[in-house]
Amino acid sequence: MRTRELHLGLMFWATGTHAAGWRHPDAVADAAYDIELIQEVSRSAERAKLDFVFLGDRLASDPALQHSNPAQISRLEPFATAAAIAAATTHIGVVVTANPTYSDPYGIARLLASLDHLSEGRAAWNLVTGADPAAALNFGRDAHWDTERRYDWAEETLAVVRRLWDAAPDPDGTGSRRIDHRGRYFSVDGPLDVARPPQGHVVVFSAGTSDRSRELGARDADVVFAGPQPTFAKRKEYYADIRARAARHGRADRVAVLPGLTPIVAPTTEEAVALHDLLNALLVLDPEREVGDIVRAGGIGEGHRRNLTSASEVFGVDVRGHDLADAVPAAVLAGVSEEGARRLAEITRLTRRTVGGPAPITYGDLVHATPAQLSHVVVGNPEEVADMIQEWFEEGAADGFNIYPAYVPGAVTAFTELVVPVLQRRGLFRKEYRGRTLRDHLGLALPPR
Amino acid sequence: MTGRTGLFLAYGLPDAVLAGRPADAVAAAGRAEAAGVHALLLGDRPAARPGRPAPPAAIVTASVLAVRTRRIGLVVDAAPAYHEPYNLARMVASLDHVSAGRAGWRVVTGADPEADANHRREGADPVDGRAAREAEFVPLLRDLWDTWEDGAFVHEKDTGRFIDPGRVRVLDHRGPALRVRGPLNLVRPPQGHPVVLAPADHPVLAREADVLLAGSPEAAAAADRPVLATVTPFVAGTEAGAQELHARAGAPRSDADAAVLVGDGPSVARRLLAWADRASLHGFALRFPQPEGVEAFTALALPALRAAGGLVDGHGPATLRGHLGLARPENRIVARLTAAGTERSRPR
Ligand SMILES: Cc1cc2nc3c(=O)[nH]c(=O)nc-3n(C[C@H](O)[C@H](O)[C@H](O)COP(=O)(O)O)c2cc1C
Repeated sequence: MRTRELHLGLMFWATGTHAAGWRHPDAVADAAYDIELIQEVSRSAERAKLDFVFLGDRLASDPALQHSNPAQISRLEPFATAAAIAAATTHIGVVVTANPTYSDPYGIARLLASLDHLSEGRAAWNLVTGADPAAALNFGRDAHWDTERRYDWAEETLAVVRRLWDAAPDPDGTGSRRIDHRGRYFSVDGPLDVARPPQGHVVVFSAGTSDRSRELGARDADVVFAGPQPTFAKRKEYYADIRARAARHGRADRVAVLPGLTPIVAPTTEEAVALHDLLNALLVLDPEREVGDIVRAGGIGEGHRRNLTSASEVFGVDVRGHDLADAVPAAVLAGVSEEGARRLAEITRLTRRTVGGPAPITYGDLVHATPAQLSHVVVGNPEEVADMIQEWFEEGAADGFNIYPAYVPGAVTAFTELVVPVLQRRGLFRKEYRGRTLRDHLGLALPPR
Repeated sequence: MTGRTGLFLAYGLPDAVLAGRPADAVAAAGRAEAAGVHALLLGDRPAARPGRPAPPAAIVTASVLAVRTRRIGLVVDAAPAYHEPYNLARMVASLDHVSAGRAGWRVVTGADPEADANHRREGADPVDGRAAREAEFVPLLRDLWDTWEDGAFVHEKDTGRFIDPGRVRVLDHRGPALRVRGPLNLVRPPQGHPVVLAPADHPVLAREADVLLAGSPEAAAAADRPVLATVTPFVAGTEAGAQELHARAGAPRSDADAAVLVGDGPSVARRLLAWADRASLHGFALRFPQPEGVEAFTALALPALRAAGGLVDGHGPATLRGHLGLARPENRIVARLTAAGTERSRPR
């Protein structure tokens, strides 16, 4: 069994992962198409010796998300972006999201193998089956497939893709063979036209929430990219579940579990809290409307609207009609639901404001805590953020994190320049890359043909 | 074509170069660019061929080359038969962004049984309805590129307006072969539409493309848009050296797909210029089977072409449309709405 190592990736969304991140005074508002900026951000992640840059994707565009999740409206296609990142870097891995629901296995196999060649062994595939019903309409279908069909299709795709990689020629042209796959969904003769990837098999990430997704991740993926969980106990449960499932498939120590993490970090706690407050103050709230109206936040996760009506619903007390800057009376907050109490604790953890304390919780805090979080958020100075990372790593809640920068590029450099050195000093994170490929960074052996 | 001042030259780099080390492919692209070549044509066929492995997928190579060059156009092959329109539209549009307006797409048409055999899935066989799909694909991609009007992304930090919802269009395309709702998840490409190249003899696409690709210059006919003819040159310092290079490549003969030219630099340059004048060509797509062939052409024939005033020089905007003398297209969706009277035309 290899020594367990902390792994860190950089989740790149050009607008930042905070819905108002692009409005931060230092943010580049139109970063999505600025390939030089994307390259520069990737180089700063590489200087910090991160494992990978991660490119999420979505096969639909919903203009209605402009205030709740602008990252989900538009972006460069991941393979084109990843190739440009690979050309500007030398060590860091590049993870591309590709959804088999809307692609064919031969195309995915050769795009990934191609990226692995041009990055000289640094490519990974984030296998998702898609959370957007709207994508179906862009691909000639009437409806989003159900979970069973998406995962049956994805599993056959992954099997065909790996057979194609195994049957691909070596650079000298030898060793290739047909696969003559005749499956439930696909008929693929092969062989692959491009050479076998330098990593043998391109590294596979999987991200999902269902039981099928956990099973696919545990059995077939190298990295499970995990969504948020409501509590630390649930997080540990999830981690143990993936481990146990992986063990059943004889791969107990071969799957890394990496949740998303949004660090709001600054040199001092006060500055970090102020930054968090500033970002939230930049959010465009939804107009007040009927209670009970839930809209998709898009892409990853769902959420309520951001307004006092929705906050009332989520917290279980009527807080409508107040000024957001005002303190919420402790008597009102005494009446919150169980879920409301959990969220009040979250507000305190993030803002350091307390019920009835010297810095009291405001109505605005309730509004900002209403939508579901896309990832765990931590607000603090570099030591506090490193403490959280260390705790999760050592307590068996995560093997590392996919870092969600709240805005670009400032939140990337805040993490790489403030937090990574602390982790390195504590001996938790590498100071140098051990090798040149993503498999090297992740401690994964080269698979035999 | 009128208004031409010199030839447009595109290189099809040898597979051996593109399939080699990434740094070597980048260096070869850089040499072509430095020599004044206007575009690289990157083949892409999703089926194995005998011998050495194929180069990486064109879109991935093109994106790497895009960020390592400044002026040269990058044209990727893709067949409608093996792509979803939504995926291909954003790939080519993304290449246009990454290259700051240097992307092109060569529409690959016609039967390819070996590639078909890699792409059968439940309910879909590339053999079925191939022609209908090809015919519908190009106008559909143009429409997808137009789903976000220029200026639709406003990024107003002070107001919090990220987009102008009045400038984005749902397409709801429902054709005989394809259905796509839209909008595309991407800003309109810098060139408006990346340059579309199609076979000059295709009954439908020849009317939809920006640039037509003919086979041998003998086969090229004048058209209302730029025509490039396909030539495989074998150039060396001497006539005998060129003959030897040609022989080493298996002595290919001219056919309907490409003319073979063998000779020293000045004589090959002269014949290209003569051909261009006779057939009103805009330029040539040059194919190079061997790595030494491309470097010899660049070193020996290009200077002769330039000396004869036979090369478009690079003073215009460094976009592929700029190199070709093509205007940036209007937004088709807005134009249709304006024509139908449902949209008042907006001041530019
Ligand atoms: C952390 C995380 C990241 C995800 N990223 C993407 C993505 O980039 N694109 C996408 O289409 N779906 C993404 N998904 C959605 C999954 O593909 C999946 O379809 C969704 O979570 C629904 O879960 P299920 O399919 O397992 O039921 C992501 C999911 C998680 C948990």
